[in-house]
Amino acid sequence: MMYLKTLVLETVNLKKTYMLGEVPVYALKGVNLKVEKGDFIAILGPSGSGKSTLLNMIGALDRPTEGQVFIEGVDASRLNDNELADLRRQIGFVFQFFNLIPRLSARGNVELTLAIPGLGKTERRKRAEDLLENVGLAARVHHKPSELSGGERQRVAIARALANNPKFLLMDEPTGNIDSKTAKEIMDLVKTLNEKQNVTIIIVTHDQNVASQTKRSVQMLDGSIVKETVN
Amino acid sequence: MKASDILSYAFGAIKLRKLRAGLTTLGVVIGIAAIVALLSISQGLQSTITEQLQTGFATDTLIVSVGGGFNLGAMSTASSGFTLLVNDTQEIDKIDNVDTSVAIIQRVIFVKSSGKELVRYIVGVDFAKYANIYSTFEAEGGAIPQDPSNETVIVGKRVSDPWRNETLFCDVNGTIQIIWTNATARPPKNETYVGHVAAVLNEVGGLSIGGPSDNSVYIPITQAQKFFATDKCDLIIVKLKNDDEATIESVSDAIKEAFSGEVSVTSSTAVLRILSSVFSTIELFLAGIAAISLLVAGIGIMNIMIVSLMERTREIGILKALGMKNRNVLLIFLCEAAIIGLMGAAIGTGSGWVLANIVAIIFSGGGAGVFMQAGRQAAPTSRMTITPVLTPTVFVGAMAFGLAVSVVFALYPAWRASRLNPVEALRYE
Repeated sequence: MMYLKTLVLETVNLKKTYMLGEVPVYALKGVNLKVEKGDFIAILGPSGSGKSTLLNMIGALDRPTEGQVFIEGVDASRLNDNELADLRRQIGFVFQFFNLIPRLSARGNVELTLAIPGLGKTERRKRAEDLLENVGLAARVHHKPSELSGGERQRVAIARALANNPKFLLMDEPTGNIDSKTAKEIMDLVKTLNEKQNVTIIIVTHDQNVASQTKRSVQMLDGSIVKETVN
Repeated sequence: MKASDILSYAFGAIKLRKLRAGLTTLGVVIGIAAIVALLSISQGLQSTITEQLQTGFATDTLIVSVGGGFNLGAMSTASSGFTLLVNDTQEIDKIDNVDTSVAIIQRVIFVKSSGKELVRYIVGVDFAKYANIYSTFEAEGGAIPQDPSNETVIVGKRVSDPWRNETLFCDVNGTIQIIWTNATARPPKNETYVGHVAAVLNEVGGLSIGGPSDNSVYIPITQAQKFFATDKCDLIIVKLKNDDEATIESVSDAIKEAFSGEVSVTSSTAVLRILSSVFSTIELFLAGIAAISLLVAGIGIMNIMIVSLMERTREIGILKALGMKNRNVLLIFLCEAAIIGLMGAAIGTGSGWVLANIVAIIFSGGGAGVFMQAGRQAAPTSRMTITPVLTPTVFVGAMAFGLAVSVVFALYPAWRASRLNPVEALRYE
């Protein structure tokens, strides 16, 4: 039964070492992680535990020092800059600080993501509006990030992350910068996406409350996975 | 990513910082405007001068003079004592491809009329032959006699109307007194006779070497020989059957040979060629000066792009996280520079052209005229007007140069932007 599921992400003995001046910092010390299609997983840990480094590796933003990252079977640790860029299009990033382009409207931000793989203007406009509607922002498409609340901005970010039908959503403290009521709304949206639309979701957080709402959480400490919990 | 999307993204980024982009563009505008203005003025000046020279030159003529080089005043003698004689034209006429030739005796004289006195050139020449060589030797008033008497004189426009104010110094059917100081006589004495003005020439304008000039008095060659008591002439003008390079070459050589290398032969075409090469050098020099200002503009662009790169580090990180390739990040930055460069070049070309016209108006009109002196004497002057010329080459060149400078100086910042590490860029505050 287990083997019939598609493996979306797998890390094998993943290691990352930074040089802090002359001193090596072992940020990841051999991480093995498997994420399957439709999974909803939290990577939990205090700051300095290596969870951000792990996020960069599985987000194809950085290359590991040792070990492999397989994204749907493709070894990301062996790719060049261009190939990594192509791979990143298949990953939906959601950041703590939203990271929207300030001068573009909500729709413009989603459209930009669609323009990168070269989608035509009318097509991407339609799709951007659908995506924003999907996250409950149909009425706010023309607003710029500065005219939107924190929760709304994060919804735009989620719509943008979903734009290119990613293999999985990679969320970095998605509720870290919004109030608890809005945070709950966002988590509800994320849960709906997972349950109703079968979107694979990986949330990196230090918030136990967020982690408890996922299907599975992985506890990190000092660059290693120390505990796995099925919620 | 499509080119149009890259362009519109770049355009959006520029629009966000209008003042900054405007000031950066201004740098390019000034550089390009300076180049366009200087080049179009110098090209205008060149075409004005060449045009005026061509009318006074006739491309199918050669000028034979004594000694090593052509001399504007044309009264030199070779160190060997060789002189050209009036009847040397007979020798020259025998050479192949020579249509006709005419000897010229030239002196500086005083002309006197109704109590006023002018310093002018007097030119002794065969009227019929001269008119045959130079179409500008043409009467505006009166007629050029085919068989002139000794007292006949023909005057240039600036002899008849020297002050350009309709107060005539002399006119057709009037008389002028010609005074020549014979410095070789002992004691030196003034020779003089009264000439009858048979014709006033059309205005020639500008410079003329060998050809008719507005500041000369023309008398028959026989009278000149008698009055100056000489058989020597200063120049022989040779009209060729055609103005082919080969003909000019072969006849020049034949003439030099006929006079054992004691004469120099100047082709009008060669003089024009030398002039235009001088102008090219001047143009290059001016363009070089203007290019310096464009260089400064380029450094300004680079500076702005580096500042912009730092401000937008996070944005670049986001773009990369969204899967944009390094190449496209590079292109976005280059596009921004290209837009600034093109706008600057377009506005610069326009304002350079306006500037050139303003300068031309100031030069040509009003008090400050451009005066060219044709000869050793300070008195004879004639004014020129400059019409700035904007050739397609200058136009396209200026646009391309503005664009190229902007893009070249943006290469380094754009390359740096494209090489940013996405993890670090996203973390950048």
